[in-house]
Amino acid sequence: MAILSPSRAVNPRLGSYFGIFLSGFAAIALTSLILQGLGVELSILSLAMLLGPIALYAGIGIATHASDPLDFFAAGRRVPAFFNGLVLAMSAFGATGLVALTGLFFLIGYDALFIGIGALGGFVVMAVLLAPFLRKFGAFTIPSYLGRRFDSRPLRLATALVVAIPIVMILSAELRFAAEAAIVLTGWSHGQAFLVLFLVLLVTLVPGGMRSMTWTGVAQSLAAFFAVMVPVIIVAAIVTTMPVPQLTHGPVLRAIGRNEAIQGLPIILPPGMAFDLPGPELQPILKRFADPFGALGPAAFVLGTLSMIAGVASAPWLLPRLAAAPGVYEARKTLGWATFIFGFAMLTAASVAVFMRDYLMDLIVTPGPAVVPPWLAELAKRGFASITETGTQFTASSISFARDSVLLSLPIAAQLPPMLLDLSLAAIIAGALVAAGAATTALGHILSEDILFGGTWEAPHGPVRIHAGRGGIAVAAAVGVLAAAYVTTDPLRVVLCALAICGSALFPVLVLSIWWKRMNAFGAMAGMLTGFLVALLTIAGGQGESAAIPSALAAIIGIPAAVSAIFAVSLATPSPTRHVLQIVRDIRVPGGEILYDREMRTQRLKKQRQLS
Amino acid sequence: MIERKERKPYWRHTKWQMVASLAPFFAVIIILPLYADRLNSNKFLGFPLGYFLAAHGLVLIAVITVASFVRQQDAIDHWHGAHEDN
Repeated sequence: MAILSPSRAVNPRLGSYFGIFLSGFAAIALTSLILQGLGVELSILSLAMLLGPIALYAGIGIATHASDPLDFFAAGRRVPAFFNGLVLAMSAFGATGLVALTGLFFLIGYDALFIGIGALGGFVVMAVLLAPFLRKFGAFTIPSYLGRRFDSRPLRLATALVVAIPIVMILSAELRFAAEAAIVLTGWSHGQAFLVLFLVLLVTLVPGGMRSMTWTGVAQSLAAFFAVMVPVIIVAAIVTTMPVPQLTHGPVLRAIGRNEAIQGLPIILPPGMAFDLPGPELQPILKRFADPFGALGPAAFVLGTLSMIAGVASAPWLLPRLAAAPGVYEARKTLGWATFIFGFAMLTAASVAVFMRDYLMDLIVTPGPAVVPPWLAELAKRGFASITETGTQFTASSISFARDSVLLSLPIAAQLPPMLLDLSLAAIIAGALVAAGAATTALGHILSEDILFGGTWEAPHGPVRIHAGRGGIAVAAAVGVLAAAYVTTDPLRVVLCALAICGSALFPVLVLSIWWKRMNAFGAMAGMLTGFLVALLTIAGGQGESAAIPSALAAIIGIPAAVSAIFAVSLATPSPTRHVLQIVRDIRVPGGEILYDREMRTQRLKKQRQLS
Repeated sequence: MIERKERKPYWRHTKWQMVASLAPFFAVIIILPLYADRLNSNKFLGFPLGYFLAAHGLVLIAVITVASFVRQQDAIDHWHGAHEDN
């Protein structure tokens, strides 16, 4: 690795800092376990499990305040690949991955893999097709990149408006998961939970923008991993005697398969385009875990994977993270770490689902009259599960589970101390805060940089720019919390639709803006608007039960439409100017000056020449 | 800084590297999950093989794809003098 200039040198003590943070987090959990043994009331401990980590995040957020635009909007462009990749992976995984993906694995087994595989593929595609070039360009937001790349202010404004919609959707879904977790933890009302989340977003993001987001995000990601891993490692040690749940749930899975066969769970042969994702309501397991294709047809599985790839690769709340990498090489490495960490998280979610299914199948195949064990009674009391009929013996269809409570059901089913349930809830909140933080900063930067100062190329100097950035983040957080409070659709569906919109509106434009020189501003505008509108129409048309294309797969129509619009309009209009062609040539080469900085400098020189 | 006459060969090289990274990955990611059913009768580490390859296998393949891309593309950058000079 080349030697970095001193101002951009990486802090060598980062590892120790986050070691200290993680010890603090573990100390909160252990103290709560000890105090629980001493007979302290559970509700106080649960409140501590919510507020303790939040205090740590807030401390990091305030300590990483920033007054320099480069620090505020791109974390100083000096975040090492591992930390950058950790935050990138966790902002893609988020609470949706922790809660909804685990639940999907539990309910439909293999078929849920399309989400995980799709996101992994999205990172691979991002690494090869987009990341090095976007880092070379160095813009702080996606609208700034597209506007500057095509030298078109209308395109910048249009991108800002289009991109804001999926970002708000993601924000609302993540905050909803976080609020539900906070409510289970404390028994607050929805209003109180959303208010606290809003304040947490403000205090962790406003002081330092992207810089605060990066370092609180690292802390929250580590906390989420720790808190998710502890219960499942304990369960793995109980069930398989090996504390590596990701690798050792195989024999458990085979036992489940045998029990499923004994129970006669049907092998479903769905039509190719069947796309029947379980919603958040209570429902029984209907499908064998390891057998592919029951809820989803094979064609829908493949198309769903491709749609996820396009959506994740072009997600406007993930791509700004690349601007924080120290260089092009480090940006590529960031994606390597992100792929590894995301894969690890996905396998953890799968192992949680497998162990939970193991507890369920063990109960079902136990011969004799149906006796409700204490853990199932506890799950039913909390509303995580329901027992629909108690005949002579349990069957697979007599016990229903809520999709979004499977992660929380495992510590209860394994009869672990209540503190571990609190730990899982803290993990959900931490994961949601990473993803929501990424979305809030992305939206806040777009609001201040591309909408407020979007009329001129050169953002104002001095503290005005930072203050506007802070204001933008505050507004973005408020919008997100309001959206979360009023949009009550299934959050998983909201996330999939947001990814479908990104995939069709942005993916073709972003990829071709690098790989096709002849594309011009008109083509980019036409492609983006076509992709966006086609995706919206397909989503609207896909809501019905018998729709040809499910709304989550809208990108499979949106992408071809956008690509043909880009080609048709670009070829029908004049070719790009020499200046724009020069930008494309320079984007493609890693070495040389960061293009965004160069463009800003030339803008400034041009203005000075006009004045004099 | 890259020389002017190196730009074309550099970009051709980069394009081939892109194809070499993505084509096998996409082939695996599309085809493998469809054949999981047939593979499931075999076992590996106690897992049904089809599930194991679609979950753990694809994670491994994705990580290897990105890691080899990073190495190869860095070598290409240095070969053509296109690497970062800071």
